[in-house]
Amino acid sequence: MRALLVILAMSAVSACGGGGHGPPDGGTDGGDRPPCVTNPTTHLELINACTTAQQIEKNPVLPLLLPDGGLPPLQ
Amino acid sequence: MRTLVALTSAAVLLSPARALAAVDCASLPNPLYLQIGDTQEPLIKALGKALRESAVNPMTLVYVTSGSCTNIEAMYTGVKITTNPFYVPSTAEDPTWTPASASPSCVIDPAGHAVDLANSALFVSACNPSPQPPDVAQFQGPIQAYVMVVPKASSQVAITAEEAYFVFGFGAQGLVDPWNDEAQLFIRTTTKSTLLAWAAAIAVPATKWKGVRLDKSSDVLSSVTNSVAPEKAIGILGAEIYDGNRATLTSLAFQTYHQSYAYYPDSTSTAHDKKNVRDGHYVPWSPTVWLTKVDGSGVPVNPLAGYVIDLLLGRAASPAPDFQPMDIIISKGLVPGCAMQVNRSYEGGDLSVYAPAAPCGCSYESKTGGASASCISCTDDTPCGAGKCRSGFCEAR
Repeated sequence: MRALLVILAMSAVSACGGGGHGPPDGGTDGGDRPPCVTNPTTHLELINACTTAQQIEKNPVLPLLLPDGGLPPLQ
Repeated sequence: MRTLVALTSAAVLLSPARALAAVDCASLPNPLYLQIGDTQEPLIKALGKALRESAVNPMTLVYVTSGSCTNIEAMYTGVKITTNPFYVPSTAEDPTWTPASASPSCVIDPAGHAVDLANSALFVSACNPSPQPPDVAQFQGPIQAYVMVVPKASSQVAITAEEAYFVFGFGAQGLVDPWNDEAQLFIRTTTKSTLLAWAAAIAVPATKWKGVRLDKSSDVLSSVTNSVAPEKAIGILGAEIYDGNRATLTSLAFQTYHQSYAYYPDSTSTAHDKKNVRDGHYVPWSPTVWLTKVDGSGVPVNPLAGYVIDLLLGRAASPAPDFQPMDIIISKGLVPGCAMQVNRSYEGGDLSVYAPAAPCGCSYESKTGGASASCISCTDDTPCGAGKCRSGFCEAR
């Protein structure tokens, strides 16, 4: 059984992310996804804008994520 | 059958230059010497074929491939081409040659030859190059996406930025299933745009990537295609290279940081429309940048280089070409700037809304799977309202 849940979603449903762009401060949480953005103007809105494109929902298991969901520094 | 297709495709890409009679590069008609990233070779071969057969401004594209950062330095510091380069043959020389064929090579002058036109397949600043000399100018050309690929036998369809951070930043210790075998992570060396673009996209510096560092895109292609552990194998390529080898590889949808879903560069896994590159849903992309020597007015010193730059940028070229350069660019998986709806100012930088001065979105879509329902065909500006009829479609400006 693969640990990853992959769902192909062909609908136009999308969602917004949180926080800022750039070096990550949070991982994927697999939780509910907020609604897509209809008139995007910022980076976060553009990447989460409503679309008719094929969307793939993936909720990977990442054992090394920090307790707060952030990413550890590279070594 | 799958194996046969894979081997055949790899053989075409990897086969040595065709054995035409040795020819001096200088004896070729109107030679233009280029040093390009190998992701741009499909474009240069196709454009070179059209230019070689052109009746209005025939020329021969003579080229070597190297890393983008190496190419920039060659133009900045005057490093000459000293190894025998490839060139695009005429139909008279080789009636069977097509842009899918391996290019023949010519004999370079023993003293070498200066690079007339250099290419970086990402923002020049990403290479931290020497200061740009005042007699060199850079021109931003069409957009290229970068992809992560897996063998056809793999069941994987997507990767998130967080997964990629652990896979390539930590290797086996990243504990990401199934990409936990560093011998199956096929990456590039640190002067290559493919690695640098992905490094910026996932926030793992190029020098810190885990995996097998390969010199050429063709090495990544063959290593992933022929992996003995297909579920664990993953590699990085330019979309141009992937698009020419879709029969043997699968590209993964990518979900960037703070994005809710993963997307392909195209609207679906099988489309060729680069919809998600154009509108900002797929973020691993870079501009192709073209560098050449210019005079005090910023005009290319070599008129052949200036002509090719005009074609690549979609500008009016004189004489007008007797082929459609934009069709060639689009057919190789690149996106002209006029078809983009987003932009960025540095490698991996935030996206912003982009409104090109002379948009070509509808025309672009008509060549990549069909224009949107909102696109209106036209022969003049009459049906376009405040817009402009351009290449058969009403555009916003």
